[in-house]
This record gives sequence, C-alpha cells and structure tokens, in this order.
Amino acid sequence: MRLTKIIIFFVVIVSLIMIVNSCKKEEPVDEQENQKIILSFAFLVEGQDLQTDTIIYTNEAGNHYLINEIQYFISDVTLHNSNGSSYLIDEWKDIHYIDTDIPTTWTWDVFDNIPAGNYNSISFIFGINEEKNQTLMFVNPPESFMFWPIYLGGGYHHMKLNGKWLDEYQQISPFDFHLGIGQIYYSYPDSITGFIQNYFNVELPNSAFSLDKNQTREIQIIMNIENWFKSPNTYNHDDWGGDIMQKQEAMHLACENGHNVFTVEFIN
Amino acid sequence: MIKYRNIILIISFSLLLFSCKKDDPEPIPYQPIPYNIEIPFGFPTNLNIPADNPMTVEGIELGRYLFYDGRMSGRTHPDSLMSCATCHIQANSFECGIDHPEYIDGFTHGITGKPTPHVMLPMINLVWNSSGYLWNGFIYSENPNAQFRNIEDLVWMGIVAEHEMNSDTNRAKEVIQNIPGYPELFKKAFGSETVTVKNMGRAIAQFIRTFISANSKFDKYLRGEVQLSQSELHGFVLFTTEEGADCFHCHGGYGNPLFTTHLYYNNGKDSLFTGPYEDPRDRYHVTGDPMDYGAYKSTTLRNIELTGPYMHDGRFATLDDVIDFYSHHLLWSPYINPLMHHINNGGVQLTPNEKADLKAFIQTLRDNEFLTNPDFGPPDKFPDGK
Repeated sequence: MRLTKIIIFFVVIVSLIMIVNSCKKEEPVDEQENQKIILSFAFLVEGQDLQTDTIIYTNEAGNHYLINEIQYFISDVTLHNSNGSSYLIDEWKDIHYIDTDIPTTWTWDVFDNIPAGNYNSISFIFGINEEKNQTLMFVNPPESFMFWPIYLGGGYHHMKLNGKWLDEYQQISPFDFHLGIGQIYYSYPDSITGFIQNYFNVELPNSAFSLDKNQTREIQIIMNIENWFKSPNTYNHDDWGGDIMQKQEAMHLACENGHNVFTVEFIN
Repeated sequence: MIKYRNIILIISFSLLLFSCKKDDPEPIPYQPIPYNIEIPFGFPTNLNIPADNPMTVEGIELGRYLFYDGRMSGRTHPDSLMSCATCHIQANSFECGIDHPEYIDGFTHGITGKPTPHVMLPMINLVWNSSGYLWNGFIYSENPNAQFRNIEDLVWMGIVAEHEMNSDTNRAKEVIQNIPGYPELFKKAFGSETVTVKNMGRAIAQFIRTFISANSKFDKYLRGEVQLSQSELHGFVLFTTEEGADCFHCHGGYGNPLFTTHLYYNNGKDSLFTGPYEDPRDRYHVTGDPMDYGAYKSTTLRNIELTGPYMHDGRFATLDDVIDFYSHHLLWSPYINPLMHHINNGGVQLTPNEKADLKAFIQTLRDNEFLTNPDFGPPDKFPDGK
C-alpha cells in the first residue's frame, strides 16, 4: 500500500514536470523586444539653467549665493506600473553619479530592457541606501572622490553642493552643503554614539509614461536647486555655516527639503 | 651508393648552415613581455596607460637605464651630464628634497643655472593620474596639441627646456644611438634599433608608471597589519573631519588611497592674482576660467615629509609651516575654492597638540619600502658596461 502511494506520488511529480516543461516550450518568447529608457539630468534655479560662480541667486532665507559645483548619486530607480507591480532598475549595478562639471554624467543610458507597459510614476533613492553604501565600493574617480570618512559613518557622500554666500558680516563665505551619513554625538564633535543614513526616497511628480514595444524614451530629471533651501524648511546659511557633515540637524532639514527638489522636465 | 651520397650531402648542407649561423649575428627578437601592474588594496583599477605605449618588461628596463643615464641630455662630458635622476631622487620620493647638495633648499635649476619656474611635483603613483600633469595640468590627454598629452611628452620637454637639460632632441638621440647596447635594448622594447625621442619618452614613461607607493604604515594599518599610535589615530580623525583639519576633500583618505584628487584648487595662499601678481603657469592659463586664478594641482601626501619645499612656489620649507598655513594664515580672494570653508577664520585653527597629531598621521604615509626598492634605483651598469 505504502509502495503504491510512493509510485503514484512519483508519477504525479514526473507528469507535472513534463507539463510545466511542455508549457515553457510553447510560451512565445519575443527576443526582439527591446524597450529602453534614457535618464538625463539638468540643474535649474528658479526655472532657469544654472549659472555657476556668480552671486545672482537669493534663497528663501534671503541669503545671496552662488553655486560652484554639484555632485550627487541616485540609485534604486523604480518604475511603478499601473497594474501595481514595479520595476527596479538593475539593482546593484547602476548607482548613477551626476556631476555639473562632467557632461558625460548628465545622461544615463539605462542598460535594462524595460518591460513594455504603462507606468504611473518613477521614484528613486537620493544617495545610496544603507545596504549598498559601503566604503571602497567605488575605487575609481570621480565616484571614489565622493567617499565619506569612516569616522563619520563611511560610504559615500550622497551629495556635494559647493558654493558661496554673502554672510551676515557681508563677507563672501564658502559653503559645502554636503549630505551623507550623519552622526549622533555624545559630546560634539567627538564621541559618536550612532549614525543616521540620510538617504531618502524621491517620488517624481508627473512622471507617468507608457513604453511601447521596441520604444526608447528619454526622461529628463531636474534638480531645482533653490528648493534645497526652501520648503518645508527655510535653510539659512548664516545659521549653519560653511560645513554640515558633522551637523545632523542641518542635514536633516536638507533631507526634508530634498523631497521637493526633483521634478520631471519632459518625457520624450 | 646513392644512399651514402645522400647522407654526405645532408651532412655537408648542415655544416654549411651552421657555419653561416656562426658568421651572422643572431637576430634580436622582438617579443616584449607584457608587464602587469598589481593593483594595491583600495587603489583604482583604471590605469592611465596610453594605448600606443603598453607596459612591457623590456620597455621598463630600457626606461630605467635612460632615466639614470646623464648622456640622455645629449652630452658626454662628465661635467655636463644631466639625467632625470639628477633631480628626481628615489630616497626623496623622486623629488630633489631640501637636502640636495646642488639645489639649495630644494629649488631646482637647469644645467645652465636657470631656475625651474615651479618646484617639483611628486613622481609617484602617476599611473593613476588622468587629470593632467604639471602644477596647472597643462599636459592632459585631450590637449589639442598632441605633443602635450602625457608623461611621454614630458621627456622631450625636459630635454629641450632651458631650465632643465637645455639640449636638443637630435643630439640626445644621436648620443644614445651611439652608445653600445642601447640599440639592442630599443629593438627588444620597440622593434627597431633606431633610437627615436618618441621611444625614449615611451620607455621612461613606462618606467615611471611602475613607481607605486602603497606600503606605508597607514596602508599596513588599513590591512590590519599594524596599529597606529593614539596621536596618529587622532591625526587621522582630524585629517578626515570638517570640524578638524578637513584635508580629505582634496587629499583623499581611506576611500581614496591616492591621497590626492589630482584636481586643481585655489587654496588661499594669495589674495591677488592679476596684473603683476599673475602667474602664467596657474590653472587659469590652461582653462581660461577666472575661478582658476591661483589654482594648482593638489599633490599626493604620500611620502610628503620628504618632498619639501611645499606649494607650487616652494614657499614653505617644512610640514610644520604648511600645517600652520592651513591653520591660521589662509588669505581670502574671490577665487578661493569653496572647499576652503574656514577661510574667513583664517584657517582651521588647530591647537599645538592637534598640529602635532595631524603631522604624526601624515608621517604614517611614508613608504620606506618604496624609497629603497632596488627596482626603482640606478642600474649597476649602463648598457655599454660603464
């Protein structure tokens, strides 16, 4: 009796495997399907193209300022399908670095063959998440130049935004608006007792698009620079000074504002 | 009978062949052996090796001879010889150092006594430099003038420069061509016994690209082989924190073990840059961008204690002077790099103890194995046996 059960079980399993395999063979696979997206990146201030190295901007707090250079990472770009599923672009391979001084970084020709379909929105991680943000993950410049010191939490800067502002003493002072892993101090600036990652998820507004079979679409993502200093927190350089890598409170304000910094300019 | 005749014929023919071989010199084979650079822990994997000058064992060997041979200056009189190694001293991390018997306080000059416009730059780990050579990056890969693109080009420039060898390239290659042994080495390295300045540059550049310093006390600390002292560890923290000395943005650290970005910064040495204060060899004169007035290359800090005087013009004789400068004596100008965010305080305001700790950390970047590695030293004899 027991032997019979075993034989029946074996026959059923083998039959199931054969059925599954036969189904696979019949499933149509269109190897020619090839959908691509190209992400491009631009920098605006008050809707105008960024002009570097000249004090022509005024932020929400009234600081007159200039931008010298911006370097940042985005990662985990996710396309949210109207059917409720989502598509994560290439996971580990494609953390993308963008640099105002390096035009080749302004375009990201995404490697993935994206499934055709209707997508409701795009999101991404500003910076690099905790799992991936590991020291020496990048050994080659320019990404390696973004390293965040081990003592301060390690990994990489999420962003370096360097500029100058006219400070309260009417002196032109440099600021390094750098975001990365923040620290909790027992006694500042020594005795670190914990770290805060400070990466955050960005949901791009008005980023719905459809991708037909064999279509390539370009999506331009804008950094609206003034919003780093605007909403919901009015960021005043006079309050925080020229450096914030060891000032978690300042980085926290910046991260909250960062949710409103990015928009989609066009989808072609 | 026929069989014996054939054997005699074969033997005779073989003898003839061997006798011919004895009379003719054996052809020099051109089968250079590829040389692979071993990437040290944490170092970049992208190397700046031009496609038309791959590294080979033979090229490096030839480059080593030329680097140390004063006859490369196109002269043979003992009093007028000058080689790369006349100024680039291995024990001083291939700079002349402040203790050179001829170049007082580390200020070099050419064979005729004409001063070199800027002091020397480190000649180590250059295989990882893709951001230009010289203090202003005038030698760079996209230079419209193909004569000024890489280390190879610095060789002919050194031969002809009045403030260096003050020679000419025809004399240089003629002298080398007529030294027994060199033509054979050129054949092995580049496939032709004819000496060309281009191949001289290629060989020396290959040799220089082997100068890898990656075994300092700090490297050993990173690999878990040694421990740093409390003073050195505190110096490391100061080096890599904005509230400390904030050196790392330009000079690297654990995540950038080159200890430089190879980029160009106005670091607050001066407040005036135009008119009579203009330096025709600063970064501005390469890019044309006014923000580059007074900007110069950030140098590696590896072996830095041996490579004074410091800054492009050698204004600081010691590391202590440099640390004092960054601590208290920065000068504001409209062109100051934003990374110098302590500028309006005059510097990072280190205490005497902090200065000592920072210096102790910087000294952990000294790599004694590199400084004494015989592979980088002078050959026992030159190709002609001299």
